[in-house]
Amino acid sequence: MIEVEHVRKTFNGTQALDDFSLRVKKGELVGLVGPNGAGKTTLIRILSTLLLPDRGTVSIDGTDVVRNPASIRRVVGYLADQSGLYQDMRVRELLEFFADAFHLQGTGRNDALENALVRAGLESRAEDFVEGLSFGMKQRLMLAKTLLHSPSVLLLDEPANGLDPIARVHLRDFLKELNSQGLTILISSHILADLEDICTHAVLISGGKNVVDEEGNAGIALRQAGRKPRLFEVELLGGAEKAAAALATMPGVQVLEAAATRLRLSIDGPDERIADTLRILVSAGITVTSFARRGSGLEQRYRAVFGGNS
Amino acid sequence: MNPMIRKELRQLMRERRGWILPSLYLVALGGVAIFVYFQTLQMHVNAVRFLEGPDIGIPLFLALLYTQLTVLLLLVPIFSAGALTIEKEQRTMAGLLTSLLTDTQIWWGKFLSSLLFVLLLLVAGLPVLSLAFAFGGVGLWELFIVTTTTVVILGSMSAVSLYWSSVFRRSVAATAVSYASVIVLCVVSALLYVAQEATHRGAAWANLPLRARAPLLANPFFFLTLSLTDPRELYPEWWVSAAIFVLLGTVAVWLTMRNLRRNIDAG
Repeated sequence: MIEVEHVRKTFNGTQALDDFSLRVKKGELVGLVGPNGAGKTTLIRILSTLLLPDRGTVSIDGTDVVRNPASIRRVVGYLADQSGLYQDMRVRELLEFFADAFHLQGTGRNDALENALVRAGLESRAEDFVEGLSFGMKQRLMLAKTLLHSPSVLLLDEPANGLDPIARVHLRDFLKELNSQGLTILISSHILADLEDICTHAVLISGGKNVVDEEGNAGIALRQAGRKPRLFEVELLGGAEKAAAALATMPGVQVLEAAATRLRLSIDGPDERIADTLRILVSAGITVTSFARRGSGLEQRYRAVFGGNS
Repeated sequence: MNPMIRKELRQLMRERRGWILPSLYLVALGGVAIFVYFQTLQMHVNAVRFLEGPDIGIPLFLALLYTQLTVLLLLVPIFSAGALTIEKEQRTMAGLLTSLLTDTQIWWGKFLSSLLFVLLLLVAGLPVLSLAFAFGGVGLWELFIVTTTTVVILGSMSAVSLYWSSVFRRSVAATAVSYASVIVLCVVSALLYVAQEATHRGAAWANLPLRARAPLLANPFFFLTLSLTDPRELYPEWWVSAAIFVLLGTVAVWLTMRNLRRNIDAG
């Protein structure tokens, strides 16, 4: 879907991208991870047709980004880092402007506008001025505006910057939902916990180059549609042995460690199984004080790779 | 309709300056009309012959004409120089450039909306300018040719201001340099002509070499003055001036289009 091969880009003598390559398959949600100045924004701007690469080839869905930028803009939704909105326009006017800018017409245009308002949760504030919205609402409006022309690829540059925790959770859920609908997403972010939660893969970048982790992987597999077991840490008010016994017969659940007040579990299968595991523990009379997912180690790997320069 | 034009006009008319500037502009023109009227009457108090309509109509028309051009030349940078920088300042430029709007549509939307507002002032001022008709000495031809000349000047200056808007990231810088461009064309060109003319003392305009005449041909006020000369004498020089302003505007458009995506690089 997204193919970047040996791309170079220089700004005033500074190498922003240096022989960088990337491949994102259709339907993947890939996180672009690296320290500040790594080249993430430059790469996303090249993909969104805002910048031209000095060398190398970049294509989306088989279409060359340099040769056919208009076709790329039809299929790509791009949300820039700290992008702005027209504060002196009403919410509906702003969406109408971008609907016209993407040549939407007729009932398709009206449907897209209504969907965008619903997506942004701003149906009741359609006639309000943008400047009167909260930061979180503006971010939702920006995302809704980005999705107005139903792109098949979404390029997001630090979309969670400045969002409060609840808004971040909403953004994560929204991106997961979009991804489950088949949208291919490339997202750059410094919030590794978010990436770990939503991304299928993470790609490491530093100094404009591909970076491999200590195991030699250029891409780190994170979430693979329930195929990979997920690790959970459960805090209890005693009764770890009883809890382990209650879960012993549950398919897909493996107790890795059972200390006095703590369980470490591996849960394989659909998300419902996670909820079932917690329900069984509570039904067995175990007092659960914490039930937290432990990541696949993106942060540890990030530290191992970029520890010196992040 | 180009969505850029609709958006720009909507935003412009929503601003306070959307109604304050036309009001102030008409008050200024009205003030000049009243001043010239009474000043002319005062000058003829002790005159030997009776005061006739054209004695008031012609000075009234000229005063309004030059006042109009002065005010509009001062307003053009306010609207055009910030047209693209505002998109960079509020970080909305990327949204425009990654939409299906072409660079031409973006430029045209910005150019036309800022020019249309200045033209709105020009049109709003026409009834005041037409006061001269009531006194005589001025006809429809004069009104037509001076309006056409003013539109060419304003279009060209608007394109130049838009070019500066594509060069700079901040509206303050773009507006300052746009005013400098207006000063160069209005004042520096006149000074250059005076300096050149001094070396050819006594020579008639037609006998001056092109090098000496050239600075004045690029002067907006001289261009406007040319439009007031007898139509039989008007055309050669008027056309040269018109060509200079059209060329200036065209070069500015070409450079602006080249710059439109350039400043994204470092952002």
